[in-house]
Amino acid sequence: MDSSVHLDNVVMNFGDFTAVQKTDLKIESGEFFSFLGPSGCGKTTILNMISGFLEPSKGVVKIGGKSMAGVPANKRPTSMIFQNLALFPLMTVAENIEFGLEVRGVSKAERKKTSDRLLELVALEGSGSKKPDELSGGQKQRIAIARALAVEPQVLLLDEPLSALDLKLRQHMRTELKEIQRKTGITFIYITHDQGEALTMSDRVAVMSAGKLQQVADPITLYREPQTSFVASFVGENNPITGVVDAIDGNLVTLNCGVLGKFTGRGIGTISKGQSATLFIRPELLKLGQTGDMSFTARIAEVNFEGSYLTLTALLNQQHAISVQIGAEQYTADLIPDAEIQLSFASQDAVVIAGEGNV
Amino acid sequence: MKSETIMRWGIRFYIGIFFIYLFIPLIIMGAATFNNSRFPTITPWKGATLKWFDALAQDGAMWTALWTSLVVAMGVLLVAVPIGICCALFLSTVQGRGKTFLYSLMMSPLLTPGVIVGISTLIFWKSLSVSGGIMLTVIAQTTFIAAYVMLMVLARLQRFDRTLENAALSLGASQWQTFTRVLLPYLKPAIISACAIAFLQSFENYNTTLFVKGYDTTLTVYIASKVRTGLTPAVNALGLIMISVTVLIAILYEWKRRQEAKRTVSSVQ
Amino acid sequence: MFKQLKARFGSSLSVGIIAIIGIWLIGMVILPQLIMVDYSFRPNLLPSEIGTDKDTYSLNNYETLFGNSIHLSIFAKTIWSSVLVTILTLVVSYPLAFYLAKVATPGQAALCILLLIIPFWINEILRTFSWYIILAYKGPLNALLLALGLIDRPVRFLSGDGGVMVGMVYAYILFMIFPIYNAIESLDSNQVKAARNLGAGWIRTHYRVIIPHAKPGIATGCIMTFMLAAGSYAVPALLGSPGSRWFTQIIYNWFFEGGDWNQGAAYAFLLLLICIGFIALVMRVFKVGLGDIAR
Ligand SMILES: Nc1ncnc2c1ncn2[C@@H]1O[C@H](COP(=O)(O)OP(=O)(O)OP(=O)(O)O)[C@@H](O)[C@H]1O
Ligand SMILES: [Mg+2]
Repeated sequence: MDSSVHLDNVVMNFGDFTAVQKTDLKIESGEFFSFLGPSGCGKTTILNMISGFLEPSKGVVKIGGKSMAGVPANKRPTSMIFQNLALFPLMTVAENIEFGLEVRGVSKAERKKTSDRLLELVALEGSGSKKPDELSGGQKQRIAIARALAVEPQVLLLDEPLSALDLKLRQHMRTELKEIQRKTGITFIYITHDQGEALTMSDRVAVMSAGKLQQVADPITLYREPQTSFVASFVGENNPITGVVDAIDGNLVTLNCGVLGKFTGRGIGTISKGQSATLFIRPELLKLGQTGDMSFTARIAEVNFEGSYLTLTALLNQQHAISVQIGAEQYTADLIPDAEIQLSFASQDAVVIAGEGNV
Repeated sequence: MKSETIMRWGIRFYIGIFFIYLFIPLIIMGAATFNNSRFPTITPWKGATLKWFDALAQDGAMWTALWTSLVVAMGVLLVAVPIGICCALFLSTVQGRGKTFLYSLMMSPLLTPGVIVGISTLIFWKSLSVSGGIMLTVIAQTTFIAAYVMLMVLARLQRFDRTLENAALSLGASQWQTFTRVLLPYLKPAIISACAIAFLQSFENYNTTLFVKGYDTTLTVYIASKVRTGLTPAVNALGLIMISVTVLIAILYEWKRRQEAKRTVSSVQ
Repeated sequence: MFKQLKARFGSSLSVGIIAIIGIWLIGMVILPQLIMVDYSFRPNLLPSEIGTDKDTYSLNNYETLFGNSIHLSIFAKTIWSSVLVTILTLVVSYPLAFYLAKVATPGQAALCILLLIIPFWINEILRTFSWYIILAYKGPLNALLLALGLIDRPVRFLSGDGGVMVGMVYAYILFMIFPIYNAIESLDSNQVKAARNLGAGWIRTHYRVIIPHAKPGIATGCIMTFMLAAGSYAVPALLGSPGSRWFTQIIYNWFFEGGDWNQGAAYAFLLLLICIGFIALVMRVFKVGLGDIAR
């Protein structure tokens, strides 16, 4: 069955305020798709347009190729898992799961079969007669998933469903969600402001900022080939160095960063000589010593031991802070504050994006 | 810290006096029932008797009045509770201009003296050629009791999490199903309390009823008329019974409420 | 507004909600008041004369009050005594409300509240009647005072306004305590502690921290008490004497003894205006809005 979701030139305005700028995006059938962005960037608004709680100001939402304009939330083939889960507190767990079938007039025996099957799927057999209040956070989470799956939606919408859980449980639920998605083959549209969550689970991620889509790509591409300064700095750690384009050689762009020196990286998008641009290099791609083709010296300001790795904060020319991540095995006793160190990176590992890089 | 101690004892003393003040009158009234005197008093005490309960039981007019009161209270319950619920639903849903005005308007019957509610109802229905009686009593009492119901239901509605409704819709429920399956069950405790309050408010109302009762007499009106004419301790007997019943209901209600509170607390843990 | 309602409840339920509210507001709240006001400006006519040229608007019914010195003095006394009852009730209630909200342990507070609610659930008539017994000429209060030798002749408590006011304070005290209690309870106890730590005395703490916070509750309590006192028929009828009539009793007489409803309507409207005036005054003095009242 076609359960793709197409945001066809969708815009959402609240009065004068544009919460979602013109967006054209196709989410494939059976995909695990995430929206990633900081708080208030319009993620929930997008989800509400797909689920039917909001009608777009312009454009249409299409599900399985069919326009959803004018179709109310309760008639759409979607089902939603809310940020606060919204389990019905007065119903038992089984009644919660069966609710969607009950309002469709499905017989009691049939409903029971479904809820038993789903309770098994989420590994909570035998909890059917409990009240939601008697369950732990992670169990409630799984009941919310079971309840949403019971109506056999084509598209499952998840609004930061893991944000209320502690770290351990969150990591565990990530695997479970992914597993459930694999088993059911339903399109998952997942919202989060936690990049770890988006990167580990998704087939593709859309990064949003201030109502605008910044980049849509699979996690690896997103990490390695950020297309905008926002993506480069929002997804993962990154060290920005801003300068003026000095030379362009094939895909390599050299920036003149004044007193900091000259740096070369892969150019992304259109960049022309003389304009200002920013080079981004990830902490783990910076090496001690002279292994890469771009090398420079810096002074250590701080050393943080984080278990399997170390984070060094070093000052370039006494002013520009750079963070460097090295494996714990590379630690030597001379890595102390105020020590001078030699750092380097491969210019193919750095990206250069037009603009000042401030987001 | 010495002034603190004095303060503490002062306030305890005050509380003690206060509760004596609150309960002494009721106790004296109850005690007077058993005094073998022609007038309701405890001074002088003329020996104990139960004859005033008999006298009360013989009083046919009292039984009629009790029946009238029950009919009126049931009527008020049936009319005022739905109105109050509708107002609460309305206020918790709409936003924007005019809402404060409407809220004030809905509250206004509570800030209007009861006699005026009675008088305006009487005059209004007179102009439609309807005169006082049970029906008018129900209408007049509903005018302000609906506002009480509204406040009680609204208080609970304000703690309602509206995403529950979205959850139901997203699972395919119609708006009507969402209302009956999600919102109404949530409101049930408040509605039950509101029914109890509406019933009691109606049962004990005097100031409004007095103007619209026509030739019908509710129990409260009957007691008042007894106090002014033909006062005997039979009135105390009636009072004592009514107090006992209300105290019993109050305690039961409170007990149930605490039971409920305990249940929610324990289930949260 | 209908759009918001429809989005939540669907059209048929929304129409039902609006219709029911409309019937209540228009048919029970607004129209009766308007008709009453209209009535008060018309003369008292025989049914056959209604609609003839005798049926004209005038201020005659209002002039009656200002021409009748007895009614006027009762009107003034009712207002004045109701203000007094309100102040008295406030003074008696405030310490208790404060105790319940901030001094008592939760258990004590719950018990006290239950004890307070019980008399509140009992009929106003019975509450008043019990005072009738206590204050009677040969009643227990006189007996006690005589026995203690404080008086040598029984006092006629029930012949002046004193008995009425005592009964009113008793009957309406809960309408004062609960709003104030709710308001004080919502005050963060740390604020009280902070004020005390900064060296503020008890009086100052109340005056500067607690009372300002409790303002909406105090305003609500005062409004309710005044309205109930000024509009009470039961208490003065039971505890008063012919010499200490209340304005509501005069209104009642116009309706059921004088047979002049138009006149009665005018008096009733004046009473309503006084109550509205009092509400406006209290809201001004305490600087609270209508929305804060009875929350
Ligand atoms: N009904 C509304 N009316 C007006 N503005 C709104 C409305 N709903 C959302 N907004 C605004 O739209 C913007 C996007 O809101 P949205 O809820 O989509 O953010 P979000 O990305 O989900 O944030 P979060 O991560 O905090 O949940 C916010 O600035 C918000 O204030
Ligand atoms: Mg959100």
